[in-house]
Amino acid sequence: METLRYLFRRVLRNMRQSPFLCAAAIGTVAVSLALLAFFALVVVNVQDLVQRWSQDIQIVIYLDTPPPTTTLENWQREISAFSEVAQVKYVAPEEAFRRFQQRLGDEGDLLGGMAQDILPASLEISLKSEARTNLVVDEVVARLRANPNFADLRYGREWLERFSAFVGLLKAGGFLLGGFLLFATLVIVSNTIKLTLYARRDELEIMALVGGTTLFIKAPFLIEGAIQGACGGFLALGGAYFLFEFFLRAGLSQVFLLPALTELRFLPFSFQVLLIMAGVLLGFTGSLFSLRKLVRI
Amino acid sequence: MIQLFNINKAYQKDSAALRDITLRVPKGEFVFITGPSGAGKSTLLKLLYCAEKPSRGQILINGQNVTRLSANKIPYLRRRLGVVFQDFKLLPRRTIFENVAFPLEVQGRKRYEVSKKVYQALQHVRLEHKLQRYPLELSGGEQQRVAIARALVIDPLILLADEPTGNLDQESTWGVMELFKDANARGTTVLMATHDRELIHSFPRRVVTLEEGRLTGDHQP
Repeated sequence: METLRYLFRRVLRNMRQSPFLCAAAIGTVAVSLALLAFFALVVVNVQDLVQRWSQDIQIVIYLDTPPPTTTLENWQREISAFSEVAQVKYVAPEEAFRRFQQRLGDEGDLLGGMAQDILPASLEISLKSEARTNLVVDEVVARLRANPNFADLRYGREWLERFSAFVGLLKAGGFLLGGFLLFATLVIVSNTIKLTLYARRDELEIMALVGGTTLFIKAPFLIEGAIQGACGGFLALGGAYFLFEFFLRAGLSQVFLLPALTELRFLPFSFQVLLIMAGVLLGFTGSLFSLRKLVRI
Repeated sequence: MIQLFNINKAYQKDSAALRDITLRVPKGEFVFITGPSGAGKSTLLKLLYCAEKPSRGQILINGQNVTRLSANKIPYLRRRLGVVFQDFKLLPRRTIFENVAFPLEVQGRKRYEVSKKVYQALQHVRLEHKLQRYPLELSGGEQQRVAIARALVIDPLILLADEPTGNLDQESTWGVMELFKDANARGTTVLMATHDRELIHSFPRRVVTLEEGRLTGDHQP
């Protein structure tokens, strides 16, 4: 117990004695993890978007002219009869215009002078969740195309597939970048801590001479590294949140024409914990590498 | 207490720091280890507190063979030794009290016990009134007395001193020697490396002479 108390007193004393080096180590970890967090934010939200889009309207049939009511009702009945179809919704030109205006948000008034029936009418078909596979979607589309009125048929599968592939690439790039960043941070943190240790070489030498065990000598520095890493992690989280609130939200909303900013989310709790733990591990490992060379009994 | 059998130490292939040293130091003895610079005095002491390992031979301290002691066992040996150096080796950013308390804290002693022993050790070297000062505020002689207090605070079996008076004036030297004599009188075995002949004449004790790594003399007063 006494040893533990002494250990923590040493940790705090060490950090007080080298505030600049301490701040440098924390700062390095914070910057590195903040970059990773920012990247993760983009990937998480883009993935969410892909997920949402794939659950939205699966097939859209654009109509040259708005059909008469009876024809429309027949078509809706015909399509609803497909076992794979969950819902068929008719979107009139005016409704389509209103939606587009909403999507543009603040820039919606650009459409002020235009006619409200400029956009085509459409039939939006949602498939049942069990039918949302590429094979089934292809089959339903083939059946729909049998009706000559449904020539202009769009379904987002290809686009979504390409976008999903892009997200996959983004993730892979993120892992690679993350790997390099973490390695670079480890080297920098290790060297920063090494500087701290060089400044305390006399202390380390005397500790060894008066009978300090390797663990006794190393423990405070390892704990110090872990604490610095944790502080860096928390800073990174705060920085990422700041970036998210003031830049990322607005930026991504504009890029993807999202109607509401609240659709974007910050990193899930598990990611946040992982970020802090990455900081702790970085600091601890950096310390370990530095101590290996400098502490010799 | 200390036994060396055919000790050889070479730092490089062609140069031996110690050659074929066999030496026995009984408990409670005071031994000067003398010789010119480069004779191997410091090397001999380093082998005793396991800062170096001998190339050949055996060392026994208090019956324990320390020749090939593993790194995780060395600290426990050193907790029974007191070592004093020519350059004092005090921590400049710690107070005198903290410097002397260091060996006890390393051993995990309780706070009240540490305070008591440190105060007693500093009283013994007549520096208890400078508890809260820092080493650089003290003279060379005072710093060495603090180093001796640190070495003695753990009640060591053996006190090793490597040229402890090398940086001191005559008055301080005499003060330091009185402390060593006193520790020896209380049962501590003392080995002191020095090339100061006047000191050896003034304090007649067993003298072991080294020259070019060999033991060339071993005289009782």
